[in-house]
Amino acid sequence: MIGQGSIVRAENLRKIYRRGAEDVVAVDNVSFEVAPGEFLAIVGPSGAGKSTLLQLIGVMDNPTSGKMSIAGSEVSGLSDAARTRLRRETIGFVFQHFGLLPTLTVAENIGLPLLLSRERSRDRVEFLLERVGLAHRRNHRPAELSGGEMQRVAIARALVNQPRFLLADEPTGNLDSVNSAAILRLFQELRQDGLTIIAVTHNEEFARSADRRLTLRDGKVVS
Amino acid sequence: MRTWLTIILANLFRQRLRNLVTAFGVAIAIGMSFSILSFQKGYENGVRAELDRLGAHLLVVPKGCPYDAASIALHGASWPCYLKSVYLETVRKTPFVACAAPVLMTALYEEKSGEQQVYCGVEKNILQLRRGWRIDGVFPEGTGELLVGSELAKSNGWRLGQKVALPGLKNETGRISGILHPTQGADDFFIYVPIRDAQRYFRHPGELTHILVQLTDPERVKNVVEELRGCDAGLEMTIVPLSHLFQTIQHLIENTRLLLSCVALAALLTAACGVSNTILMAVSERTREIGVLRALGASPDAIFGLIWAETTVLCLVGGLSGLILALGSASLVETWLRQQLPYAPPERLIAPDVVTLLSCLGVCLLLATFAALIPAWRASRLSPAEAIREGAYTA
Ligand SMILES: Nc1ncnc2c1ncn2[C@@H]1O[C@H](COP(=O)(O)OP(=O)(O)OP(=O)(O)O)[C@@H](O)[C@H]1O
Ligand SMILES: [Mg+2]
Repeated sequence: MIGQGSIVRAENLRKIYRRGAEDVVAVDNVSFEVAPGEFLAIVGPSGAGKSTLLQLIGVMDNPTSGKMSIAGSEVSGLSDAARTRLRRETIGFVFQHFGLLPTLTVAENIGLPLLLSRERSRDRVEFLLERVGLAHRRNHRPAELSGGEMQRVAIARALVNQPRFLLADEPTGNLDSVNSAAILRLFQELRQDGLTIIAVTHNEEFARSADRRLTLRDGKVVS
Repeated sequence: MRTWLTIILANLFRQRLRNLVTAFGVAIAIGMSFSILSFQKGYENGVRAELDRLGAHLLVVPKGCPYDAASIALHGASWPCYLKSVYLETVRKTPFVACAAPVLMTALYEEKSGEQQVYCGVEKNILQLRRGWRIDGVFPEGTGELLVGSELAKSNGWRLGQKVALPGLKNETGRISGILHPTQGADDFFIYVPIRDAQRYFRHPGELTHILVQLTDPERVKNVVEELRGCDAGLEMTIVPLSHLFQTIQHLIENTRLLLSCVALAALLTAACGVSNTILMAVSERTREIGVLRALGASPDAIFGLIWAETTVLCLVGGLSGLILALGSASLVETWLRQQLPYAPPERLIAPDVVTLLSCLGVCLLLATFAALIPAWRASRLSPAEAIREGAYTA
C-alpha cells in the first residue's frame, strides 16, 4: 500500500476559516507524503496557506475535511488529550519568533518539553547544549542572546523529546543572512543524522537545500 | 517542580507594578476581613467576661429605668431611679435564689478635675458573687470604711489604713480598710462602701439602685423570673436575666457589625475582580507564549493549573501582607472602634487568634480560585495554533 512507510501523509486536506459572512479557504485539497529522513520545504507567496498547513501537520488544529496520518496512524479522530501527547512525543516545533519563555534560562527552556512529559534528563539537555554550541550560555536568559542563538536554543528544545520529525515555520524569517546560513547548516546536519524535517520558508537558499519542495498558491499545491 | 515555581514567580515579576497594585487590593480586603472577624470575637468574649465578672445570673433594676440601665450596672454611672430596700427581702425569699446582693451605685463629678468617681454601696454578701476578688486588708463593714480599686489607689497614691477625703463629696472622709487586687474590669476604678454609708452620703435612705442575684441552679432562671414578676413587688422591678443582657448588648452593635461585614464582603469581591482583571490581561498578553506551551505538549489542565497557581501566589502575597497590616494596626483600629461603639467592654476588642488567621487565609485561597476561574479557563482554551498565528511576528 502506498505511504505505508511515510511519516506524514495528508489526503485531500482542506481548511476553511469563517471570517464573518465570508469563508476563507486557506488550505484547499492538499495531498502529500513525507518519507522518513526526508527534508521537505513548503514555499509559496504570503497568504498561500503555508502556516495553516503547518498547523494541520503539527496537530495543532483540525482540518475542515480530509485525512492526516502521522507515523501510520490516523489523527483526525483523536481526542484533545491524545493530540497533545502526540505533539509532545513525536513532533519538534521551531517557530519564526523562537517561542522561548523569557523567564527561563537557556537550559530550562531546552528542558521544558521534558518537564511537560514529567521526565528528567539532565544528560539530554547537556548533550543538546553541546550539539547546538551553547553550553557556555546555559544559564543565560533569552533576552541576553542573539537571534541566531535563540533559534539554536529553540531547535535544541524541539529535539529534547527525540521527536519523529521537526516542524519549522520560517525558522530564518527573523534572522540576518549570517545567522540564517548557520541555522541552515544545523538543519542540514540534523538531516544527515537521519531526522525528518518539514519547514515553511521564504528563504530561497534554504528551499534549495531541501530534498523536495511543495509549492502552495491560494491554498492549492501547484508543484 | 522547581522549574514550575520559577515560571510562576517569574511570570508575576514580569508586571511587577501592576501585580503589586492588585495585591495591595487583596491586602486591604483580607486585612479588613481579619480585623472585623477579630473584632467580633474579641467583642463577644469581652462582653461575656464582663458579665462573668458581675457574678450574677439575674439583675433586678427599678421599673421605669431605661432597659439598658443594665449596662450602667456594668460600667458604673448615676442611676435615674431607685428601688426600695424592702424588695430585697422578697427577692431573698424566692425559691432557688442563693444570694441577693443589694447595690446603691452613684457617679459623682469632682469639680476640680472634672473626673467621674463611681461609688457602690454594698453588703458583705457581694463577696459571694465576686469570687475572683482578692483584697489587701478587710472588706469595709464599719461606718466610714472603704474598699478601693487597684487603679484608683495607684493613681491617688492611697495606702491601706489611710484616711482620705472622698472624691466628689464635700466634708466627707473615709478610712481605707481594703485595696482590691486588679480585676481588669471597671471595679479597678470604683470605691466600695457599706450600703448604709452610701444611702447617707447620697441621701437615698432605704433605697437601692439594683440587686445582683445568684441562683442555686442556673437552669432555674425561668422559674425565678416568673416568680419575681408575679409577686406584688414585681410591679416595681424589672428582672433582667444576664444571658438576655448578653444578647441585648450584641443587638446594640448588630448594625455596626452588619455594616462592617458588608463593607468587607464588598472589598473582597472588588479585590477578586481586580485580580481577575489583572490575570486576564496577563493571559491575553501571553497568548502566543501559552500557544507555544500547548504546541510543545502542555495539556489544557496544565495551563489552567499554571494560571491558577499564579493567581493564588498573587493573592497569598496580598493576603499575608494584609494580615500583617491588620495585626500591626490593631491597636489603632481598637481606639477608633471604642469611640464608635455604644457599649464596649474593657477587654481587648480586637482579639486575633490562630483560627481567625487561618480562616482568613482560607478566604484568600477561595478568593484566588474564584478570581482565577475565568482567566485560567480562557488560557486553557487557547489553541496551540496561537503559536504560529499571523500578526504576532515579533520576538
Ligand atoms: N485564524 C484565522 N482566521 C481567519 N483567517 C485566517 C486565519 N489564519 C489564516 N487565515 C487566512 O488564511 C489564509 C492563509 O494564511 P496563512 O497564514 O496560512 O498564510 P501563509 O502562507 O503562512 O502566509 P505568510 O507567508 O504571510 O505567513 C490567509 O488568507 C489568512 O488571512
Ligand atoms: Mg505564515
